[in-house]
Amino acid sequence: MIKFHPTNEQLSQFADGLLGATEALMVSAHCDMCERCMAKVELYTDASAEIALPQSQDDDSVDFGSMMHNIMQEEPEEGIQLTPKSQIIELDGRTFEIPRTLTRYTKSMGNWSRLVGKLWQAPVDIGGETVANFIYMEKGGSVPEHTHRGSEMTLVINGEFSDGIADYDSGDFMIMDCNNQHTPSTNADEGCLVFSIVDKPLHFTSGWARLINPFSHLFFK
Amino acid sequence: MLIGIPLENNKPDVRKPKDCAAEMSAYLDSVAKTRCKASFAKIFGYFAPRLRSYALKQMGNEAIAMELVQDTMSNVWQKAHLFNSEKGSPSTWIFTIARNIRFDMLRKLQNRKEDVCSDDLWPILCEQTADPKETSLEEKITLEQVGELFNELPLKQKAVIEAIYIDGKSQQEVADELCIPLGTVKSRTRLALQRLKDMLATHD
Ligand SMILES: [Zn+2]
Repeated sequence: MIKFHPTNEQLSQFADGLLGATEALMVSAHCDMCERCMAKVELYTDASAEIALPQSQDDDSVDFGSMMHNIMQEEPEEGIQLTPKSQIIELDGRTFEIPRTLTRYTKSMGNWSRLVGKLWQAPVDIGGETVANFIYMEKGGSVPEHTHRGSEMTLVINGEFSDGIADYDSGDFMIMDCNNQHTPSTNADEGCLVFSIVDKPLHFTSGWARLINPFSHLFFK
Repeated sequence: MLIGIPLENNKPDVRKPKDCAAEMSAYLDSVAKTRCKASFAKIFGYFAPRLRSYALKQMGNEAIAMELVQDTMSNVWQKAHLFNSEKGSPSTWIFTIARNIRFDMLRKLQNRKEDVCSDDLWPILCEQTADPKETSLEEKITLEQVGELFNELPLKQKAVIEAIYIDGKSQQEVADELCIPLGTVKSRTRLALQRLKDMLATHD
């Protein structure tokens, strides 16, 4: 069951188009998996439409006439083709259903590579300064305790894991930007697939911890 | 009919969006089905000034605000058939179109590099999944039934229907032949079929 949802504030800002691109992407993917939040976004959208389009105060000086006539010269157009509702990706003989919002990125997704231990990673190029990855933790997999900085968002696509702070399940969404220490691990038979975005790659500077640089953004707090 | 459609912004319509939802739905419907300019003028007259206020507040720049109004209303005109009154009100639909355009515009202006576009987040302007009504519509209409009604179609629609249903060409072939986008061929076909259906309905 989903326990970790975006805040009402985030959902409302998402409805208004005011969230940053990557945060909006995460919230949207969560809504694909969470009917409750999807319904809330619809409510917020309806409310915003009512408020955002009030009667205009001014103004006789604006001439809309030519704009309207130009528009009416245009030919009708088809809408965009509906993206598949979801998509299946495969890893190590297992299949995972990717929420609609993220399906476009599965096409440009890099290959899965095994990191240390039972962790797998496939990078997703979403451009900009951010780093996005699908990360898969096999049963019994864990990351040694570590710290990190920066803001990171995680959406559990499939499976469960714990980090000593809480237990997470499919659909759970978290944003973390603290410096806490934790030890993520999973004992679920099917392991755990998450999608993660960090605003800055993190760097460990000493000892064995450098090894986990490539996926340090995986886990939060 | 086609000229001198007055833009009705002389006497501002003070009703709240939800209070004229049914009326606006009906206008959108006739824009979708018959490209009715008078109906579009009603929608435009009501929403364009409101969109401008919204856009000015959001973008803070008159020229960009007007661009947002133009793009939004242009989508309304071109894609009215994508509006589904069962899914929401006209004001919500038009607001979401404006919100999406604003989102993409702002990201362009800010030079943001993330490959995230509004269609991924809010796929409101997508074609509905294979609409059973539409296929059955094509199946139901035979050339015999259509008969002389066919001649009442606008020239452009007639040309497309003729090529597809009489000459048996594919939509792509028609697009290439007439040098118009495939999407336009599809829309004209759909509009023509809808029109024929409506004519058949009133015929008998
Ligand atoms: Zn939720």
